[in-house]
Amino acid sequence: MTQNLLIPLSDLQPGDQGEVVQVEAQGPIRQRLLEMGFIRGVRLRVEKLAPLGDPMELVIKGYHLSLRRDESACILVHRVA
Amino acid sequence: MSLTIALAGNPNCGKTTLFNALTGARHHVGNWPGVTVERRSGSFEQDGLTLEVVDLPGTYSLAARSADERVAAQFLASPEVDLVLNVLDASNLERNLYLSTQLLELGKPVAFVLNMVDDAENRGVRIDLPALEILLGGPVIPTVGNREQGIPELKALLATLARGESTRCRRITVDYGHDIEGELGKLATEISRDEQLEASMPPRWLALQLLENNADAKRKVAESHASEAIGQQLAKSFAFLEPHLGADGATLIAERRYGFAHGLVKEVASAADERKTPTARLDALLTHRWLGIPIFLGILALVYSLSFILGKIPQDWIAEGFKALSDFAGARLPAGELTSLLVDGVIPGVSAVIVFVPVIMILMGCIAFLEDTGYMARAAFIMDRLMHVMGLHGKSFIPLIMGSGCNVPAIQAARTIESPQDRLITILVTPLVSCSARLQVYIVIAGTFFTPFKAALAIIGMHFLGLGLAVLMGRMLRSALFSGPSSPFVMELPPYRLPVLKATLIHMWEKGSIFLTRAGTTIFAGATLIWFLSRYPGIANGEWTAQYQDQRLAVQALQLPAAETEDRLKALQLAHESRIVNTSLAARLGQKASPLLQPILDPDHKRPEAWKDVIALTAGFVAKEIVVSTMAVIHQASDEPKVGERLSPLQVALRDNSGLSPLTALAFMVFTLIYTPCLGTIAMIRREAGSWGWAGFTVAYGLVLGWGLAWVTVVAGRWMGFA
Repeated sequence: MTQNLLIPLSDLQPGDQGEVVQVEAQGPIRQRLLEMGFIRGVRLRVEKLAPLGDPMELVIKGYHLSLRRDESACILVHRVA
Repeated sequence: MSLTIALAGNPNCGKTTLFNALTGARHHVGNWPGVTVERRSGSFEQDGLTLEVVDLPGTYSLAARSADERVAAQFLASPEVDLVLNVLDASNLERNLYLSTQLLELGKPVAFVLNMVDDAENRGVRIDLPALEILLGGPVIPTVGNREQGIPELKALLATLARGESTRCRRITVDYGHDIEGELGKLATEISRDEQLEASMPPRWLALQLLENNADAKRKVAESHASEAIGQQLAKSFAFLEPHLGADGATLIAERRYGFAHGLVKEVASAADERKTPTARLDALLTHRWLGIPIFLGILALVYSLSFILGKIPQDWIAEGFKALSDFAGARLPAGELTSLLVDGVIPGVSAVIVFVPVIMILMGCIAFLEDTGYMARAAFIMDRLMHVMGLHGKSFIPLIMGSGCNVPAIQAARTIESPQDRLITILVTPLVSCSARLQVYIVIAGTFFTPFKAALAIIGMHFLGLGLAVLMGRMLRSALFSGPSSPFVMELPPYRLPVLKATLIHMWEKGSIFLTRAGTTIFAGATLIWFLSRYPGIANGEWTAQYQDQRLAVQALQLPAAETEDRLKALQLAHESRIVNTSLAARLGQKASPLLQPILDPDHKRPEAWKDVIALTAGFVAKEIVVSTMAVIHQASDEPKVGERLSPLQVALRDNSGLSPLTALAFMVFTLIYTPCLGTIAMIRREAGSWGWAGFTVAYGLVLGWGLAWVTVVAGRWMGFA
């Protein structure tokens, strides 16, 4: 059951994979995240954290993207094994 | 016949390289009206047709939230555009197709370029071109932009399309599904009731933007006479769609677009193999947890040395060349107004402009190189945490550091920051970073009033003070100007690519020539104005000029050894100039303004010569290094030390006669650091921030802040017992 737990993307560790469930951000940030591919059901993988711990690098839709904790905290995902 | 082609595509899709390949050297760079977004246009000829190409800013979408997107969306919708050429990165097709789904809605023929097919093939991705053409409903040309592969075919295709001989553009659009399509239809019907609105863009495209809650689209509708009916229909559509499909309009539309893109890619492209890409291997090192920062600092040091150490060599040649020219003209022409205009006004003015060009070109070349390789995004990734704490963006780091060499190219370097808020704040605080020109002032002042050790401390202190203030001002400006959260940091880390040398060279040339034409005139005009203020009315005094000539002749008649004659002539010249400057409009201004500076530079009212500082500081508006040469003239003492002496005659004069104490000297340094950016920086702020208002604001806050901190220096210094 733990697999279906909803967690913010910022809780995933490097190497973890997740599936986007919902983008909670509002306004322009929400639109930007949608355009960049954060739509329901999309798989992503956390690649690494920046040397200072923030932002994070992830792979989504086959390309690499970096997000600050501020933004990744408002994306809810399922952890995928 | 001429036809306009708009080049649209995502950032990092190789659009600009393709643009260069299409138009060659025949292009023009400017700004889009009203915004500081670069507009490149050029043309090429094919089969007797002239085809005009406009390179749009790279965007991920046409949602019109950023200035880049707004420019792209507005231009694409304008009747000026006859054909849209959508550049797709073959190695990242799915995300690139998101923009295509919007371009296909514009009601214009769309042709596609599948760029970087070599990258895709290296990753094991094979793309079925005929199938792609069918699914996109338009012709697709594969290219490798940086090797100019596919360019002749592309030109031929564009000419065919221009002549209207091709029927290959079929105008397909994404199918948003029964429910959304139904609402789009209803909205489009309402929109069509306003003929003007209908003519401005396809009603379906406007309807889509309304469902996405696009602010620009809503504004456009609000001006229409049908706005009420459209608004009612929109509310009905939302009320129907959201509960029915379980998400808001923006989400639903984005999902359908990605659905289209995903399905298409599955159909035409084989999956990438899972091998580690060269980019992944490089990133394992370049953004490594422990090595990432040292490597970044190393690269930064290299760029800095190239720009400001290597760049200083041609800079010195230019400065020396103009100095020689000015000396030559001064020696040959009769003393007087015109000669002074030429020797003290025009030549140094032109020199003050051109001297920036080598460092601008080198630094911009380095930055373009880093950007084109993809490393710039990594630099921002590495530094963002630190910069975010300061209220800035990861990409602000490089301009701020480069500011310590010279503020002018540093402000130009802020172009790499996409978010307009972050860019503006970076531009406004960069002048606080102490540049190498200010260093020359510190060296003279600190060298005069402090022991060598304390002088070094004071100079280093100035640099830290400047950086610290930039950070503080950044935070203050962010909270004062832009309430709400800082702009999102959603940044692509594009694959590493080898840049094309030609593109880097073109970029360097453009930056240099833009500076000369746009900022150059401002600097030149300012330098001439300062010349006028500091020479009149004395320079027009015929009696003084005659006296000076007589004295020169008298010295020459003495027939002394050549070296001594030269020394005496120099002393005469200095005395003559000193007389003119010390009675000039600037001097009168200085006497009027010196009470303002009294609390910081003359707290005990013991300095009859405090007004002379004002002249030097006024001259510093042109360029900070001029403060020193102006002081030499005002105090009638050369700023070059005699052989074997530590202090120059100017420093001795300052120490013995100016009345500055170590404490007020420190206050003078603090004030010099902050009080105003130089003319070059002001001109660059005006250009990069897009208005004289911001340039004026920078000068104003600098004066206030500089005065305030110099005053704090004096007051705190006295409280601690310094004099």
